[in-house]
Amino acid sequence: MAKIFGNFIILLLLIIPTTVIFVDQERGGNLAFAQDAMEGEDDEATIETETGTDDDAVDEETPLTETEKEEETTEEENVSLKPSPDADTFILFTKPNNPLELPAGKQVRILVGFTNKGSLDFIVDSMEASFRYPQDYSFFLQNFTTMTFNALVEPKRQATFEYGFVPNEAFSARPFGLAVTLNYKDQSGNVFQSAVFNETIQVVDPDEGLDGETFFLYVFLAAIVILLLVGAQQLVANFGRKRLSKPRQTVELGTQNSDVDYDWLPKETLQGLNKSPRRSPKQSPRQRRNLRSTGSGEE
Amino acid sequence: MKLWITALILTFGCFIPSFGEEETDARLLASKNVLNQYLVEGKDLTVEYKIFNVGSRVAFNVLLNDNSFPESSFSIVSGNLKVEWERIAPNSNVTHAVILKPLKSGYFNFTSAELSYHTSEESRERTLGYTSFPGEGGIVPQREFDRRFSPHVLDWLVFAFMTLPSLGIPFLLWYSSKSKYDQSKVKKN
Repeated sequence: MAKIFGNFIILLLLIIPTTVIFVDQERGGNLAFAQDAMEGEDDEATIETETGTDDDAVDEETPLTETEKEEETTEEENVSLKPSPDADTFILFTKPNNPLELPAGKQVRILVGFTNKGSLDFIVDSMEASFRYPQDYSFFLQNFTTMTFNALVEPKRQATFEYGFVPNEAFSARPFGLAVTLNYKDQSGNVFQSAVFNETIQVVDPDEGLDGETFFLYVFLAAIVILLLVGAQQLVANFGRKRLSKPRQTVELGTQNSDVDYDWLPKETLQGLNKSPRRSPKQSPRQRRNLRSTGSGEE
Repeated sequence: MKLWITALILTFGCFIPSFGEEETDARLLASKNVLNQYLVEGKDLTVEYKIFNVGSRVAFNVLLNDNSFPESSFSIVSGNLKVEWERIAPNSNVTHAVILKPLKSGYFNFTSAELSYHTSEESRERTLGYTSFPGEGGIVPQREFDRRFSPHVLDWLVFAFMTLPSLGIPFLLWYSSKSKYDQSKVKKN
């Protein structure tokens, strides 16, 4: 009865999980599906400005041929675009504070102030930043995402715009021309562009106190040193023991009387042992023969 | 005499640009940022305002007013959406934070707050300005957030149940053989 019950439990344990798996598959794997849906939502949850500026560092690098084409078009545009005399801009680097040394691979945040000094409304369209070759500003090295604002600035009003970008990690310890431009237009549709920042800056290696890579490198080195020490100690110990043990040789003494426990033997045997010929070597062979004959007689 | 006049003009010429630089009034740049990574309905949301005085004079009666959070979709947990500072010194900055609680899920366009100040003590007219704006952000419903970040007790239970056979079958095999030998020993004695 118990055996049948045990077999039944084994069968049950085998069958139920497989059915669970199949039922889940038929439903379309509800767990995985839910997570997929959430990932989409997660992207939407983060604020646009943050993601937009974070992504640009990697995505916006265009092939050389494209940049050259772009360069030509922008040069043509630059000829016609000029800053409006009624607009006043100011740039402030909030992170890091020193604009001349930007850390590679870390976010840079800038605030751009815009003042409308004229009597017409301005519409601030977008802001963009790019790294240029310092000797030739028409040669683009890295383009950052254009941020669209579409903000209206009335006369005698000020507005602040925030922009963030990440210099590529590969761009460390080199000078770059950083150009930040603000595009805006007035009520009558005239398009203006002002270079808020146009200077040669240095991209520097961010000085982190202790990053994971170097930390574990040191841990690994320490482990190797300890391993070598242990190995050396083992070697020395072995060598020393061999030297010490060589002159000393053990001499086998055989079984000594005091070592042997005779308790388990019957008394007669013990007595017989005590009377054994080995214990009394002086006994003559004749006596021994007599003893044997009497012994056999007893049996 | 001519030399004197030229010297005078030259000295004044040297001073004028420096005078002009010192005359720049207070100028404020203000940023507005949402610090949370996930905006969740019913959970706290921190909005941070930073005001930088980049001019060379003190800004007086700085008033920050944020009307961009309608009462129907946000409730204030702590802090004020209307703040006033008497003065902000040149080359210094002020930070202000407000904690809000979104009441509705869905997309919300975070727009700029308004800033007004006197550029100097004598100025009558208030200078008006806008802060920067974080832009559009999606507020996740509470249920979705829980689904993602809850401890997943049910999932772990299912996992435990599915690992049961690989542990249970060997145990049962072992137990059956053990009980068999135990019984035979009892019979012998």
